[in-house]
Amino acid sequence: MSMTSGFRSQCIPTYRVLTEDQIKEIHSATLEVLEKIGVRILDDTGLQLLKDAGCRVKNENIIQIPNGLVEESIHSAPSCIKIYNRKGNEVMQLGGNNVYFGLGTDLIYTYDLKTGELRPSRLQDVVNAARTGDYLEEIDFVASFALAHDVQTNLMYVECFKASLENSIKPIFFTAAGQEDLSVILEMAATVAGDYDRLREKPFLIHYAEPTSPLSHSKSAVRKLFLCADKGVPINYTPALLAGATGPVTLAGAITVANAEALSGIVLHQLRAKGAPIISGFVATTMDMLTSTAVYAGPELRLTHSACTDLYHYYGLPMWGTAGASDAHCFDQQAAMEAAFSILMGILEGANLIHDVGYLGQGLIGSPATIVMGSEIIGYVKRIRRGFDISRERIGMEVIQQVGPGGNFLLTEQTRRLHRQEHWRPKFMNRDNPDMWKEKGNKTYGERVTQKAIEILESHRPEPLPDPIRGKLDEIIKKARESLAEIKFVV
Amino acid sequence: MPLFEDLIENVIQGDEATVKELIHQALKNNVPAKEILHDGLIKAMNIVGEKFKKCEFYVPDVLWAAQAMKAGIEMIRPFFQKSEVAPLAKVIIGTVEGDIHEIGKNLVAMMVEANGFDVIDLGVDVPPEKFVGSVKAHGAKICMMSALLTTTMPTMKKIIEALKQAGLEGKVKTMVGGAPVTKQFAIEIGADGYSPDAPGAVDLAKKWMAG
Repeated sequence: MSMTSGFRSQCIPTYRVLTEDQIKEIHSATLEVLEKIGVRILDDTGLQLLKDAGCRVKNENIIQIPNGLVEESIHSAPSCIKIYNRKGNEVMQLGGNNVYFGLGTDLIYTYDLKTGELRPSRLQDVVNAARTGDYLEEIDFVASFALAHDVQTNLMYVECFKASLENSIKPIFFTAAGQEDLSVILEMAATVAGDYDRLREKPFLIHYAEPTSPLSHSKSAVRKLFLCADKGVPINYTPALLAGATGPVTLAGAITVANAEALSGIVLHQLRAKGAPIISGFVATTMDMLTSTAVYAGPELRLTHSACTDLYHYYGLPMWGTAGASDAHCFDQQAAMEAAFSILMGILEGANLIHDVGYLGQGLIGSPATIVMGSEIIGYVKRIRRGFDISRERIGMEVIQQVGPGGNFLLTEQTRRLHRQEHWRPKFMNRDNPDMWKEKGNKTYGERVTQKAIEILESHRPEPLPDPIRGKLDEIIKKARESLAEIKFVV
Repeated sequence: MPLFEDLIENVIQGDEATVKELIHQALKNNVPAKEILHDGLIKAMNIVGEKFKKCEFYVPDVLWAAQAMKAGIEMIRPFFQKSEVAPLAKVIIGTVEGDIHEIGKNLVAMMVEANGFDVIDLGVDVPPEKFVGSVKAHGAKICMMSALLTTTMPTMKKIIEALKQAGLEGKVKTMVGGAPVTKQFAIEIGADGYSPDAPGAVDLAKKWMAG
């Protein structure tokens, strides 16, 4: 195979589920839903904006969006979004097949590292998640992970954001109750960046808000969407639909409806601020028909997730995703199995912003040890994804000849030079021989990873915020304690 | 002393040519071979061992260092006879009869050698009488046997028995290893020691020689 034949020597495994024809079929069904059935907009400003753009009101708040407007919005939204860390260094380019992993938000329980007890989450759990995420190189962004029950209710999200900010330099994926606390959070972020212009220029945070399935945009969601659009802060506006409950039971129907919710979000966002950064996509999972719970790690979710990735690659829009999460209530074999399957598929399909690493209990339970395990699975799968080079140089005929039959390759210069590149090495997985394993205390993978998670929390000290900024943040929080105290967040 | 720092660094990096050059210069400047061995080469290999234990160095890195070390030892070997340096303890090593797997045995041989032992490698498919003969001929302190096949493991027992019959019990320590070999098996066949891996074999050999 000569150099001139166009032979590409790097093989990279990828995976997709939809053909181009199938993508177009789903896309056109989505457009049909938006144009003929419409979406419900519960916010007046949003409703007016759509009316002004030529959408038809079907009855009071159901609005039908013409195809052209949807296509225009897909076109005007940026196809690549650069995300920075707290110090202003570019760390993520959300777009194409780039895959980044991070934590999720709002877990009400924590699977305690030391006691194995399932208990309500506290602010310290947010701190712990940020530190764990900050330490692990495979984790690209952090999030609150836990929802702090031990702080003033209206300040939950503000306090969580501050804890993330103080305990990691990585980008922060965050939620808020409403536009009021979101404003406070953005003020904190602008303070860290310098001002709102610098925050817009080098955003180190992504807000996560969502439409409500089926086909509804709440007041609160639209207001958060608009606030981010106005400030040029990247927003992740993505529905989570339950097939058979809040969406059609068929995967094709669920995908179509969820996609209509996501695309109508893009329309609203781009009408408000053309070219503003938005990360889209959707999760369409199943409701378990025996327990009525929302499944976080079922095979159907992986299929719809892959379909979503194919669709948004086709649109040329950055898409969100989920992986490394489990339906198990403790850090066990099920947790490992579901984390591994989902991370494998997430990486091979090339979803951009994959959150939820370390989630247990169907989005209710956080576990730092599960984050550590997830990080190792990510490293493992990224090695698969990297593929291998089959150039003449890498085949290395001279070396094969030089060693010859019966020789050994261990001492070749090639082995020494390339073993680290060619061979990935786990950090926590067992590769010892049986006696060595016994000597080290017969530990299971779960025990080793839990020990590592404890060590990280005991020893890792993230780079602190500069003192003057800490002072300013304290001022903002102090004011917010009063301003947010009596607020009743709209739904 | 910068010479030793330089020597240590180059052994660690596995830069054989520079190691040779540095030792050449040192000998020319009448640096005692004993110091080159202990303050340079052996110190370097101890650092390499530490790095390996901390997972900073992998097997190929250790082997390159070991090769540089070996080249260095060869240069100062003539001084051993002049009794300036105590002779290195001799180790016999081989893959037992019926087995031609040698990568593990080679690894152990190189690492043991790199830690200041004089290793006589008998190769593969080595019959018991050859082990016995070599131990006798060289006055070896340690006899290391390797097997990868479960079918050849019993040969290790034969070798240990043959060494006893030859009256070498107490004079030579026996060590067994190889993927299917376990501590339990080592005890059963009456071996003096066992190691699951090459660094363990080095540690055990050092312990025996110190004790």
